[in-house]
Amino acid sequence: MGNCLKSQGSDDISLLQGGSDGNPAHQQSRSESYSSASPMNESQDHLPFYYPPPEGSHGNQVNEENQIRIAKRIGLIQNLPTGLYDGCKKNQESVSLDSICTCIICMVEFALEDPVRYLPCMHTYHKKCIDDWLMRRLACPSCLEPVDAALLSTFDTS
Amino acid sequence: MSIGRTSNGSVLLAKRLMREKRDITENAPEGVVFSDSSDSLMRWNVDIVGASGTLYENERYTLRFKFSAAYPFEAPEVVFVGEEVPVHPHVYSNGHICLSILGDQWSPVLSVSSVCVSILSMLSSCKEKKKPPDDSAYMRYAPSTPRNTTWHFHDDDV
Ligand SMILES: [Zn+2]
Ligand SMILES: [Zn+2]
Repeated sequence: MGNCLKSQGSDDISLLQGGSDGNPAHQQSRSESYSSASPMNESQDHLPFYYPPPEGSHGNQVNEENQIRIAKRIGLIQNLPTGLYDGCKKNQESVSLDSICTCIICMVEFALEDPVRYLPCMHTYHKKCIDDWLMRRLACPSCLEPVDAALLSTFDTS
Repeated sequence: MSIGRTSNGSVLLAKRLMREKRDITENAPEGVVFSDSSDSLMRWNVDIVGASGTLYENERYTLRFKFSAAYPFEAPEVVFVGEEVPVHPHVYSNGHICLSILGDQWSPVLSVSSVCVSILSMLSSCKEKKKPPDDSAYMRYAPSTPRNTTWHFHDDDV
């Protein structure tokens, strides 16, 4: 029935309503509206830093609000536990072997002592890989579990 | 477009794309045909063949994948190219595809293979071959890349 094109100023509700096709990507509740048109970030050394959106996207002005949001996001990400990879735990039956031993973002197997970050859902990624993603969207790439639900309440109230 | 803004980013990008290329060459999903004809890592053509028992049975189409420096944190640009594009309610005459995982619902765990599978299943679930209702309107102002279109993703139940 519908029109594929989004009307201007539309919101997350329309996206939520699109979630009945069995695509796991749709089953996620959007915890925020950090859309692809928002500023994007890339990590240099360990800290993600801000750079303007690529040409062609409807660029938001760099403003104070954005900077504050980015600073908050960095703080929030840094609150997530990290560690050094200590081997493939093959006895965890609930998760497929592949996803325990391999960082699914870069598709490279973890090596011992790789710096990794653990998300609340227990999915594990290279620190440098997941931090880049979390700057764009605060959800686990594998299970789409929002990672901010628990943290935001303690972190965002001030 | 440059390959990456940081050495870290470009290494991740190149490694991941080479892995994906190897995976799709050795282990292509059913209905996906990849022949590594171009030598560009950043732009691939992948053929898909409609599944038997569907409206698109044995029809062969070509998808062009273009990766930005931010891949896999940003969705690839995926369009149908070539003489003919499938007649489908989510495929515009210029090859642009209205599919949520190529927009807001992208996740870095998705890959060229899984995008092809999603597009094939989008074709398979189609019950009537028709163009999008707003095809002619879209064609009048469509940007050169679908990445600059803000899609409204309605349910894929067509
Ligand atoms: Zn990684
Ligand atoms: Zn997860």
